[in-house]
Amino acid sequence: MLEAIFFLPLLTGLLTLCLPVRSGRVVLMAVALLHLGLTGFCWLHAPAPHLPTYFGNGPAGVLVLLVISFIFVCIAPYSIFYMREQEMRSEPIFLGCMQLFLGTMSMAALADHPIVLWIAIEATTLASAPLIFINRSKKALEATWKYVLICSVGIALALLGFFFITLALDRAGIDVPLTFSALNEAARQLDPLWLRTGFIFVLIGFGTKMGLAPMHTWLPDAHSEAPSPASALLSGALLNCAFLGIYKVHCLMVLAGLGEFSGSLLIGFGLLSIAVAGIFILNQPDYKRMLAYSSIENMGVIALGIGVGGLGLYGAMLHLIHHSLLKSSLFLSAGNLVLGFGTKLVAQCGGMARLLPRTCLGFFAGFLGISGLPPFGIFVSELMILTGAIQTGHPIAAGLFIAALVLVVAGFARIATAMAFGPVREEVLVPEQTVRILPPLALLATSVLLCVWMPEPLYETITSTIAMIGGTLHG
Amino acid sequence: MNTGIDVVLVVILLSVLLSLASSRMMALVKIMALQGAMVSIAPLLLDEHSPLSNEGILFFQLMFLIKAALIPGLLYLAVTKVAIKREVEPIVGYHASLVVGLGLILLSAYITHHLGISLTGDAALLLIAAITTLGGGLFLMMSRTKAITQVIGYLMLENGIYLVGTALTGQSHSIYLVEFGVLLDLLVGVMIMGIILHNINRTFDDVDTAYLGQLKD
Repeated sequence: MLEAIFFLPLLTGLLTLCLPVRSGRVVLMAVALLHLGLTGFCWLHAPAPHLPTYFGNGPAGVLVLLVISFIFVCIAPYSIFYMREQEMRSEPIFLGCMQLFLGTMSMAALADHPIVLWIAIEATTLASAPLIFINRSKKALEATWKYVLICSVGIALALLGFFFITLALDRAGIDVPLTFSALNEAARQLDPLWLRTGFIFVLIGFGTKMGLAPMHTWLPDAHSEAPSPASALLSGALLNCAFLGIYKVHCLMVLAGLGEFSGSLLIGFGLLSIAVAGIFILNQPDYKRMLAYSSIENMGVIALGIGVGGLGLYGAMLHLIHHSLLKSSLFLSAGNLVLGFGTKLVAQCGGMARLLPRTCLGFFAGFLGISGLPPFGIFVSELMILTGAIQTGHPIAAGLFIAALVLVVAGFARIATAMAFGPVREEVLVPEQTVRILPPLALLATSVLLCVWMPEPLYETITSTIAMIGGTLHG
Repeated sequence: MNTGIDVVLVVILLSVLLSLASSRMMALVKIMALQGAMVSIAPLLLDEHSPLSNEGILFFQLMFLIKAALIPGLLYLAVTKVAIKREVEPIVGYHASLVVGLGLILLSAYITHHLGISLTGDAALLLIAAITTLGGGLFLMMSRTKAITQVIGYLMLENGIYLVGTALTGQSHSIYLVEFGVLLDLLVGVMIMGIILHNINRTFDDVDTAYLGQLKD
């Protein structure tokens, strides 16, 4: 039953590749709704997996699954109307690959076997490469080439990391199945040397896919060249899947008593990512690239939160949810902007407030949210990570974190000013449309809502996710 | 000590060195075919794998077909299609690359020695060959500019990882799942990169990745 969550989109995705455009759109919308329904069922009834050696519904996995599913439901209608405005030669491929992408990401979220997780994440690369290349321009080609090449090498290294973890199990001489849940129980007996080596390789491998600096170089290109709905999905959902891979191995490290080691590596990569992203955001002329760098920054924040532990863990999980909501909303608004002005340069987007008032509302609200201002959730999560860092005795990390955040906010402020006061344009290419305005606003509203009222099951899932490695809400 | 595996491993090491020193595309494709064949039969010659089940035999045959025939065949088609005979301006020259390759062998021997794990019998040499292949593939990707050579480097990296997998993990876990994973990776290498290669060639009239330098900050 559990497996249906990823089998459904995989099957319909393949089907959509051969269907005509019109029915393909219907299938996409239907699959998005069905997937959310299945995910809801999975949350309420926790169905048992058919293949318990390969799949499982651990709390971290279902959390990521819910985020993916919710975002997909908002992106699906948007992308249908976005594609209508663009003359797309290969729309069936786009619609089909969106579903395949959803299927592979759900599979990654539900995998319990390290190699199955790895296969699923590799498959996300396969399914999403056509989405980036869909415009067939020279730049799209370059972005796809970099994406495929850098991510494949990275993921190959992650496979090597999983081999080392298997070796750690072999050398301990215990006979348990190779699943994360079984490994977690036997964590203390595993060979620490090989576990450490394995973690380093997994961190570098999945870190490439997650967009941690200095392995992030594919990310700004891919996110800026892909069509906006695809960028929203890449940033809001895919990065979380790669993070999940790292998180599961980190849990294993903590349970094996090596949490100090893996935590400090995560803090290091996290701070570096935040700093690198801050520097590139500051003078970024292209708003989609700017959003991409902001994703790198936020992934850094999540890595930092996981690394410091304690309250930071809760903050990181909260950050994951809110970053996905806000960033995909921003990418969808950016898509409206690309359609309206036909440019990705900040300097040519003057007069946005007058020409595209509702897009402007969504875009700037998203800007406020992603810069960490209330009432959006990132304010809360960043505050928690900061408190966590100080409580667990990482004052230097906390200081660097604040300094890097200031850089990011300064970058956002520059761009907001340029867009508000730039030379005013006369007209727009494609006017605003309510169906393309509502999805980004709905995502923003969800972020605000989750700040004021967190549903009980969601709260419980987050706490049980982090309880495994000693994280609590009360420090 | 079983000499069959030693011969295979030495051929793999030589194929890595040859690929680093050759400028002709066709030669590279042939080397990859040889290396693929050797890599796919290496696990069969290891003592601990001896009694094979029926599925096992089928699986290794499939592996052999893919690594030694299918992939080199597709590479051959790609090379004839884009009509390039040789890599003209490598970032690192051929002689220097050869020296790097020799250095890699020394480094792998050093790493294997210092891992401090007592691998049974043949596996020590296997690990040296595996790490050299892995490093050689990475080096090929970084030091050549033609997209197709980079793909070949990636496939070599995959061969290396497959060897590491066979050297390190016992058959007790997740039988064939590891192999399946490597196959999927090869699928990525061949399918996507093949398609993109075709498109790079059509869009830029060349497969030099130096043309892919527009996107940067």
